[in-house]
Amino acid sequence: MTRKLLLLLALVLALVATACTDGGGDQAGEEGGEPGLEATDGAAVQTEQTDGTGADAGGTGESVLQDVQSRGTLRCGVNEEVPGFGFTTEEGEFEGFDIDFCRVVAAAVLGDSEAVEFVSLTAEQRFTALQSGEIDVLIRNTTWTASRDGGEEADFTLPTFYDGQAFMVKGDAGVGAIDDLDGSDVCTLSGTTTELNLTTEAEARGLDINAITFDDNDQLIQAFQADRCDAWTSDASQLAGVRSTWPDGEGGPEALTILDEIISKEPLGPAVREGDADWFDAVNWAVIATIQAEEFEITQDNLEEMRQSDDPNILRLLGEAASDEEPTLDPGLGLDTDFAVNVIEQVGNYGEIFERNVGADSNLGLERGLNAQWTDGGLHYAPPYR
Amino acid sequence: MAAEALGQRRAVRPPPWRDIRVLRVVIQVAFLVVVVATVWYLYNNLRSNTRLGFDWLQQPAGFSIRDAPGYSPGQRVLAAIRVGFFNTAQVAFLGIALATVLGIIIGIARLSTNWLVRRAAALYVEALRNIPVLLIIVLIYGAVMLQLPGVANAGEFLESFIFSNRGVSVPWYQSQEGATSYVAVIGLGVLVAAALWVWRTRRFDRTGEPHHRVLWALGTVAGFILAGYFVLGAPIALSLPELEGRRVTGGTSLGTEYAALLIGLVLYTASHIAEIVRGSIQAVPHGQTEAANAIALTGFQRLRYVVLPQAFRIMIPPLANQYLNLTKNSSLAVAIGYPELTRIIGTVIGNGNPAPPSIAILMGCYLIFSIGISIITNIVNRALSLEPRT
Repeated sequence: MTRKLLLLLALVLALVATACTDGGGDQAGEEGGEPGLEATDGAAVQTEQTDGTGADAGGTGESVLQDVQSRGTLRCGVNEEVPGFGFTTEEGEFEGFDIDFCRVVAAAVLGDSEAVEFVSLTAEQRFTALQSGEIDVLIRNTTWTASRDGGEEADFTLPTFYDGQAFMVKGDAGVGAIDDLDGSDVCTLSGTTTELNLTTEAEARGLDINAITFDDNDQLIQAFQADRCDAWTSDASQLAGVRSTWPDGEGGPEALTILDEIISKEPLGPAVREGDADWFDAVNWAVIATIQAEEFEITQDNLEEMRQSDDPNILRLLGEAASDEEPTLDPGLGLDTDFAVNVIEQVGNYGEIFERNVGADSNLGLERGLNAQWTDGGLHYAPPYR
Repeated sequence: MAAEALGQRRAVRPPPWRDIRVLRVVIQVAFLVVVVATVWYLYNNLRSNTRLGFDWLQQPAGFSIRDAPGYSPGQRVLAAIRVGFFNTAQVAFLGIALATVLGIIIGIARLSTNWLVRRAAALYVEALRNIPVLLIIVLIYGAVMLQLPGVANAGEFLESFIFSNRGVSVPWYQSQEGATSYVAVIGLGVLVAAALWVWRTRRFDRTGEPHHRVLWALGTVAGFILAGYFVLGAPIALSLPELEGRRVTGGTSLGTEYAALLIGLVLYTASHIAEIVRGSIQAVPHGQTEAANAIALTGFQRLRYVVLPQAFRIMIPPLANQYLNLTKNSSLAVAIGYPELTRIIGTVIGNGNPAPPSIAILMGCYLIFSIGISIITNIVNRALSLEPRT
């Protein structure tokens, strides 16, 4: 009995010793059976050395930027249920405003806007997916709030879309303003800012409103169609998207009215995991490049002309040297100097992305409004690229 | 001496890498190391990627939960989770009770001598047992409950039932002055009834005269209820549901989502319980039935006094399993938006609270439910089990 125990003790000690010294070999015999174990131990030691700087990232300790570049694809967390922003077409392709910004990031980082792996997530799943490293960037109509910046350990880049929360009702419901909703049931998605805003707004106005919450838009649409709730509250752009594809059997888009009152600020934009400055910068400047390009009026069509432009600002953004003597600017973002060219050529500038997906001529027919350039009275204001 | 013996033995021993005694220990230790290393790696991964700790439970929840009196969005996250816990407990409790009753009825019907009853019960069992319970719940919600008339043209029945796709409202009591003492009076009545029950039983054992204990007990309770009502001057009043705009006031309402979840769970679990009941009855030796027939018991008496008591003994362990399943299946309410535990935790996570501790709480809560059900069924099992006569 005691001998057995001693033998066991000796073995454990031997194993610990090999694991610690990473020496192996001279202990002979006993642990010959588990080379795999030794190998993993060695790997663990190596990683410890590489991220000895104190970074606590779970993976290899490198920036996601390097991960993405060595992997060759970008994993982008998206929505697949909001027409115009993130949805799947009948052919199974992802399309929309947010989807295009995934492509913008891929074009900037990898030079290929098609190198994106889309991961569709529910509102409740999204931050867990981001934290666990399942996705590299979250572009899923996500509102930038303080607790998400803090608690969810996400970092938000410049917003891509300035939105606000609105209510949508059926035209025959006899509701013309939010105050008419007293005593009614309102459908919304759980785990969203809209759910919280609805509660706050109802309390502030002294309205008795029941929130009926669902996991995803498909369930919500079913309930809304069956008159389970009197109104549907969400970001105005999302509601416009849903309205644009409202089935004809239900009366088509005309059957629905979006109330004029906007009850909240919803700055939507990409989010990355907190504490990865390199990756944050890369995503942020990919977004900024689209906004800057629109301000400079660089489009997919005139890109080649613009590369010969006389304006040094334009040349700098496009990674062109102003003259043969001057070097091209590399601001140290970890991106190619001509990343903006890839972005504009393959996806387009901000205005083109907006118009293509949600603009006045699209099904959604949204005005630029807050989403115009600052020069047109909007909020999009790109920091200088220099 | 020992060393000598050891030396001798070593001579005949196989080399260590072929010695089964050594190998056994090596494999076990290696396995232990792998397990510890994996857990350690996973824990570190978790710790570096997310916030751990439970301080967020004290933050304001911010979201509203419908039909949760006593809860307001300004309360702490913990309070919201508590609402979810009790909602799940309520669904589980009612579901277990209803599924048991329905399951026993259908299980007995499956053994009926009536061809139609037997076949209908078999059809029920085979149809429901072979459909995923999620599908049943979603179907009942989408295809039945949501298809009820909208609230604008809600159906009314006898001016006391209102049904729409927002819920079914039925008449209910409303507490007036003296309601608390009324509850005390009824409680007293139940105590008296229990005492009478014991007395009647003992008398029956002694004299063999019919005890009629059920009648005695029910009569006593009814007497107390009636007497108390008049003596205390109408401590409760009837409240009829009434439609006001888009809301129903008065009475009590069964929400659509709650009803769909409950019905789905009960229908599904009852089909499994029916099979357990049938199997247990068939497991009672046939001689028992024959003996009951021989002493001229009627069909009901045979079932009530001979077969079922023995069948119950066999039934309890598998029934406990079904109860656990029903409780855990209630988490499928996420698909239809009833605010039970899983849904609330989902909302909590979605609102900016860390997922790993939230999931840990969720798991802990279901563990509490499961252990609670196990303890109760074990007690019942022990009480019913055969005691060897000494």
